[in-house]
Amino acid sequence: MSSKQEILNALKSAAISPQAMPCIDIAPRIDDLVGQFETSLNTVAGTLHRDGGLSALQTTVDEHIAKGMQIISMVDGIIGNREVSDTAHELKDIDYAVIPGDLGVAENGAIWVNNKSLGHRVTPFICENLLLVIEAKSIVANMHQAAKLMTLATGEFGTFIAGPSKTADIEQALVVGAHGACSLNVYLT
Amino acid sequence: MKIALFIPCLVNQMVPEVGVATLELLEKLGHQVILPSGQTCCGQPMTNSGCFNEAKKTTLKLLNAFKGVECDAIVCPAASCLVAAKENFHEFDDSPEAQAVIAKLYELTEFLHDVAPIPAFSKPFPHKISLQMSCHGIRMLDLATPSEQMGPRMNKFEAVLAAIPEIDIVYPDRRDECCGFGGTFAVDEGAVSAKMGKDKAQAHAATGAKYAVGFDPSCLLHIDGMVRRQKLPIETRHIAQIINAAL
Amino acid sequence: MSTSKSNVHAHKAEIFCKDESRVDWHSKALWMLREKRDRAAGSLPEWEQLRHIGSEMKLHTLTHLAQYLEEFEQNCVANNIKVHWAKDGAEHNQIVHQILAKHQVKKVVKSKSMLTEECHMNPYLEDRGIEVIDTDLGERIIQLAKMPPSHIVVPAIHMKKEEVGDLFHEKLGTNAGASDPLYLTRAARSHLREQFLSADAAMTGVNMAVADTGAVVVCTNEGNADMGANLPKLQLHSMGIDKVVPDLDSAAVLLRTLARNATGQPITTYSSFYRGPQEGGEMHVIIVDNGRTEMLKDKILAESLKCIRCGGCLNTCPVYRRSGGYSYNYTIPGPIGIAVGAQNDDTNSIPWACTLCGSCTYVCPTKVPLDKIIHHHRRLKAEAGKLPYGKSSYMPLVGKFMASETALNCSMGIARTALKILPGSVLKPFSGAWGKYRELPVAPNSSFEAWFKKNRG
Repeated sequence: MSSKQEILNALKSAAISPQAMPCIDIAPRIDDLVGQFETSLNTVAGTLHRDGGLSALQTTVDEHIAKGMQIISMVDGIIGNREVSDTAHELKDIDYAVIPGDLGVAENGAIWVNNKSLGHRVTPFICENLLLVIEAKSIVANMHQAAKLMTLATGEFGTFIAGPSKTADIEQALVVGAHGACSLNVYLT
Repeated sequence: MKIALFIPCLVNQMVPEVGVATLELLEKLGHQVILPSGQTCCGQPMTNSGCFNEAKKTTLKLLNAFKGVECDAIVCPAASCLVAAKENFHEFDDSPEAQAVIAKLYELTEFLHDVAPIPAFSKPFPHKISLQMSCHGIRMLDLATPSEQMGPRMNKFEAVLAAIPEIDIVYPDRRDECCGFGGTFAVDEGAVSAKMGKDKAQAHAATGAKYAVGFDPSCLLHIDGMVRRQKLPIETRHIAQIINAAL
Repeated sequence: MSTSKSNVHAHKAEIFCKDESRVDWHSKALWMLREKRDRAAGSLPEWEQLRHIGSEMKLHTLTHLAQYLEEFEQNCVANNIKVHWAKDGAEHNQIVHQILAKHQVKKVVKSKSMLTEECHMNPYLEDRGIEVIDTDLGERIIQLAKMPPSHIVVPAIHMKKEEVGDLFHEKLGTNAGASDPLYLTRAARSHLREQFLSADAAMTGVNMAVADTGAVVVCTNEGNADMGANLPKLQLHSMGIDKVVPDLDSAAVLLRTLARNATGQPITTYSSFYRGPQEGGEMHVIIVDNGRTEMLKDKILAESLKCIRCGGCLNTCPVYRRSGGYSYNYTIPGPIGIAVGAQNDDTNSIPWACTLCGSCTYVCPTKVPLDKIIHHHRRLKAEAGKLPYGKSSYMPLVGKFMASETALNCSMGIARTALKILPGSVLKPFSGAWGKYRELPVAPNSSFEAWFKKNRG
């Protein structure tokens, strides 16, 4: 008998009688979604830029380029100085990645990104710093709403990103910048 | 009301003054109090060690002491023993007679809060007291909302005591962290139990309270042993003793 | 027997307790996590509702597990994900090794997976010439120190920064005496970046496996799982059968409580959903039983499979905080470690490493009744004749003694007299573990019963 069959057979002797699926019905907090989102983003060490939109972002990108930084942009209308590479590994020297987010989540500051907007899946993780762009109207109240709206077609990858990478594995001291991006700036459009 | 006292072995043998205070305060409140004979251990030391067979005889003997006793309530001044008695009675005897006994079981604080509230206190208790929020009373008897739980908060222990004139109620840091008694845990895991007890005793003393007051004599006995070993400027008291002094 | 005795929890805990300032430091660091958790949980009006739904949803899934696992597998296959089933740790390790060997993998980068710890996978692969690099900072620290994790979320919580500094100086060439967490973390970042870039395969654990989409969810703060899984072309994900959830809505419930209960964050930095391999890559999921179906056969033990491994019960446990992760004789320490590890504990002592205070049960985001499970383990041990600390010889005597009023009254009368007339120094050696740490009780003159007879009789 295959291990799969053995496991499925063993499950027939489970002791608890079948339980019904609960109804997930939690009222969202819908007041001032952008404000809630900004507060949450701050708690996870990210920064929100409410004003200026894409032109403010392009100004920032240009400043970084002037300093010799390597910038890849996956956002229409934002121009960096690097293209999507042949291999993921070639992104190892990217200083800034500019990426569009599909959804913002007010309760925790997380932003959903889907691999269709990433070039290589590793882009938001391997870059030294991350610049995310989201539309103000894409901010939802909580994860229940996000679960209904997140795009994840068959074969795809997507991730909720809440702030820059961080760790507190040494004596509980929070250090921002573990393996993923060391900073996160979010631009609202 | 006619009240039958359930005096656990620990109270009977080691802290009879808690039994006396319980009896006196209930009498002062106008209740008729009886002490059914033949009470033994609730079986907790055995069942908490997994030894259900060994617990059966003493548990049933205790249960029999209350079966058929005419009373409105059975009141116990020890939360942990009360919880164990309830669970063990249920475990070993599910007869209607046993159910009738279980339905009348109350821990003292619970009784004074839910069943027969104290109309008024006659004397002040002008002291600072630090409340000992013992685990089984909090997390199994719902005497107060545990610190882990979110949402609306309730605290029967404080509510009963807060009505005493001039009393000053405070809490130790980590207010409902276990004191480390845990029955046979105190001897099986002596080092950890002692460290927990020491931390708890120090937390109570650090409030500057004159008394650490609790509803569970076993925890109080443990904390008292620690307080005296550490020579801390605080004493332990049972809630019955405080209430009795204020009536 | 002697080896077994030195491994009993009480013995290891006693050794841990000898350095009291370290115990205080350890306890405080973990209590800080509990306080952060309280603030995060308290900020959500629906917290208790989420715990309730989380518990019900997990119970529903566990009682329809065959159905959801098959649904998950079918959807994975449709997403070009290869699914493997392993009945135990040995089979899991073999499957992993076969996949890696087929691709001639020399180096694997692995993010945190308590399951691979449970299966002792690292030594298995290393014996077969495959280098396994743990990439979570805490895990890398203990891997370099050749130690197992002492906590399931913060695995190096037992180490002081100076100790990490010395270790990194020796292993990674950081400056001697440097112990600044930022400096050490940056050093680990650059060291591990080389590992990510040179790895042939990546492995992760699984926080949730979504049945109706055929996706696995992996949560990290450091980004190590995603740096790993998205660089090499081969990615493997190991999951216990208990990790499956029905749908994305269910996953969302757990994503709301997991990080809040673990560290007080509103969500982990990265919550990644893998619904298929990267372009030109290969993705494998290994579904492991390893004793879980056996636990499901016991009504009480079964509920321990609702656990989502947030570590909240460890942080609140007064015994874990004061005895350390290495006192439990099992890969997973603390209340959940007792719940899922007691059956394999040959010292038979870990179910007694607990005061039954119940704090863990109230902290748990899926309402695993940990204190009841631990209590139940004691009963199972007693029924199997496997009691520790001499209980099997003295408990029957206690049972008889307590059931006899005469015996109890006579001996307690003698004890009260002894406590009164003998000096403490004489009594202490006889009072064992109680008197070693505490003063003996002050003896009353008589029992309450005697007083009652005299005054109300």
